[in-house]
Amino acid sequence: MKNTTKRVYIVLLLLVAFLGGLGFMLYTFITDGPTWVADRGNEHIYSYGSLTVAGTIYDRDGEELVSTADGERIYHESEAVRRSTQHVVGDPEGYISTGVQNLYRSNLVGYNFANGIYNILSSDKGCDIKLTVDADVSAAAYRAMDGDKGTVVVYNYKTGETVCMVSAPNYDPLNKPEDIDSDTSGYYDGIYLNRAISGVFTPGSTFKVVTAIAAIENLPDVYEKEFYCTGKYTTGKGSGNGDVICFGVHHDIDFERGLNYSCNVVFGTLANEIGAEKLTETVRNLGFGKNVTISKADAVRSTFDVTDATRLDLGWAGIGQYTTLVNPCQMLMLMGGIANGGKAMIPYLVEDSSELVDVKGKVNTDFILSAETADKVKKLLRSNVENYYGDEKFPGLEMCGKTGTAEVTTGDDHAWFVGFSQREDFPYAVVVCLENGGSGYYDAIPVANAVLQALDED
Amino acid sequence: MKQSTGAALRRDRIRRRYKYVDSSFILFLITIFQIVSFIPVVFANGGFAAESAILAFGYLAFEWIYVFFMQSVMKKVNFELELIAFFLSGIGLCIAESVEQGAMKMQLLTIVLGVIVYDVLLWFIKDVKRVMFMRAPLSVFTIIFFVGCFAFIYLTGNEINGAYNWISLGPISFQPSELVKIAFVFVGAATLDKMLTSKNIYLFIAFAMGCIGVLFLMKDFGTALIFFFTFIVIAFMRSGDIRSIAFICVAALIGALIILYFRPHVAARFATYRHIWDDPYDRGFQQTRLLIYSVSGGLQGLGIGNGQLRHVYASTTDLVFGMLCEELGLIVAFAVVLTFAILLVYAVKCSKSSPSTFYSISAAAAASLILFQTSLNIFGVTDILPLTGVTLPFISEGGSSMVSCWALFAFIKAADIRAYPNLYKTA
Repeated sequence: MKNTTKRVYIVLLLLVAFLGGLGFMLYTFITDGPTWVADRGNEHIYSYGSLTVAGTIYDRDGEELVSTADGERIYHESEAVRRSTQHVVGDPEGYISTGVQNLYRSNLVGYNFANGIYNILSSDKGCDIKLTVDADVSAAAYRAMDGDKGTVVVYNYKTGETVCMVSAPNYDPLNKPEDIDSDTSGYYDGIYLNRAISGVFTPGSTFKVVTAIAAIENLPDVYEKEFYCTGKYTTGKGSGNGDVICFGVHHDIDFERGLNYSCNVVFGTLANEIGAEKLTETVRNLGFGKNVTISKADAVRSTFDVTDATRLDLGWAGIGQYTTLVNPCQMLMLMGGIANGGKAMIPYLVEDSSELVDVKGKVNTDFILSAETADKVKKLLRSNVENYYGDEKFPGLEMCGKTGTAEVTTGDDHAWFVGFSQREDFPYAVVVCLENGGSGYYDAIPVANAVLQALDED
Repeated sequence: MKQSTGAALRRDRIRRRYKYVDSSFILFLITIFQIVSFIPVVFANGGFAAESAILAFGYLAFEWIYVFFMQSVMKKVNFELELIAFFLSGIGLCIAESVEQGAMKMQLLTIVLGVIVYDVLLWFIKDVKRVMFMRAPLSVFTIIFFVGCFAFIYLTGNEINGAYNWISLGPISFQPSELVKIAFVFVGAATLDKMLTSKNIYLFIAFAMGCIGVLFLMKDFGTALIFFFTFIVIAFMRSGDIRSIAFICVAALIGALIILYFRPHVAARFATYRHIWDDPYDRGFQQTRLLIYSVSGGLQGLGIGNGQLRHVYASTTDLVFGMLCEELGLIVAFAVVLTFAILLVYAVKCSKSSPSTFYSISAAAAASLILFQTSLNIFGVTDILPLTGVTLPFISEGGSSMVSCWALFAFIKAADIRAYPNLYKTA
């Protein structure tokens, strides 16, 4: 009898296991709840995979970009705004995976552990999200791109607020074209990609900014160097050598004017003088190839690899060709870091959501640039605009920047402009990348100016 | 003088420990809860379901009449277990009716049947000699019945979800394994010996292997696991032989691995375990939906009738825990499953002070069986354990499961010193 009495305690092991399991279940409910609730199988908030009820998304001035009425998502009245904010806002089906409607959907439906999604079912209202983007500036960028594919991004390099992030091609969410999936002309290629976050492009001459930084940090006499441009830079004799072509014949030229005129001879030579190892180190230090998360969206990593490069390859790599591919937001942070004394802010898009701690205003710790070098590069970039592109291209903006015309195997060149205003009251950096858009100087600069002027007036 | 003080103190201690709880008051609270939960069922979709209303009222009346009858005519004093069972059965009843109007009729009938089985069994096991007398014939009958059931199911080809565990006779269908559960605890715990050792249990081992063998043939692995677990509890309580038990467990584990190795289709059944999100529209459908909707409910639930899990297959049976979470909220859902945990503590406490070894063992076995089954169900559907398709006691819709739950409660009740006041006095 005594034995049996004590033996019964063994079943308490089951009790312990049960309570442990229940605790684990509660833990998974708390940690995975937001993901589960936002699953497209949740028919409380989705109908045939399309978000039907969710909070309103506002732009930074409080304009409604998208809201819910009668079980449907209602978009902004202007087509240009609808299109230009499409990739940031995202679509209700979630094809645009980096869109706020996708990444923040558990916030938009007002989910929290205590109430579940009760609020949205009882009042049809989820939690609202306020973005940092500006509807009018975005629309201006969309118009200025004039049908080109590509992306325009503008952010405040002191805070990280992204006021404009437009990606093209896009479509009008009110009249989604039906032939997107069946189209073979390539017109809709990557239409669901936010090119600013999910795209990588050949940087062309904009990458000379990186080469210039590597030169300043590794070649003490770079400002005194004299180069001679005959229209091509011959790397040497033998295999692995050849000519890096320059698009001008600049004769006697120094480092600063080499950047002004974007002379390939100067930067091809510099790349080889710096060497693959040191150049790679600088590229890494500037955050290229590292992960960056922009309001929950992971930006695609840039690639720069000169491990097996010949002297000729390295020459091309130094002027932003070869195998190098950069992400537009990475270029934006490069500009931001230079403008902001070596401290690069990570761009963010969501100003206000129901999240307890919004990830915003963070410094990119993978970006290492001394204030001294940043200042030197800033002067060089200012010199580009002042002495070569002309301040009349950017009235009243005190711009610093660099154009790029990247040669690609698929059609026309990519037209780039990366830069920033050095005006104290206007701390904005801009990246314009027009896919197969032509020339950086002729095509990208006007777009950059149009956006910044719209922002300055706003 | 000294002795009588001691006796008085002991009586006082017992009185304090088992404080008298006013059953009518608790039943009153339960009634309020049930009325509130039946309202959205009766008035679903803006209409008025008269039949549901009558049946719901019938259930409430049944609870009151039962307690009143037991109190005034049968002179019983405590009803904690019965009230818990009424409370849980009521939740199951409400969910079943709210998902499918008319389901309540059958379910209500099985609750009444369960209550009858409960009281008959409670009466029957009052006399342990009677239990001992019945042990051998019941084991033989059970094995014959169980094998016969399997043969019948197999021959009629009634395969449901890959298992042969349902007997269908016209409109009535039931799971024989649920009834065998009652006999299993009965036969396993039946003993008069006070000092128990390994030699007492060989017959029970044979009986247990027979039952579990039939369950394997039925391919009802979840129930087989429940039986095996209960067997371990009973075997340990009877023999106290931890080494033999460990040996049996290892042997069973090896056996299970051999089965999984030679019968890949058995392993394939558990292939989705921890991978339900890889295939959320096919094999992971039910479980992913359960998780999605469980967290959608929040702590307080979306309200009965407002859920989405109800549209998923098996929402009132295997997945009913998800419906509790979604519609009644996490607090109620956790309270329900914690009830089974508290019942185990109660059974352990009763088991220690019970007048007979039979009651000690049967109460512990029944309570741990219920909690183990609860674990398999709720951790299975939430993908914490492999999915085995067992029911949630009292809550899942299903007649045989309901009857067996009530019957198992009789074993727990029997161990309570207040169940048989006369027996305790003479002991």
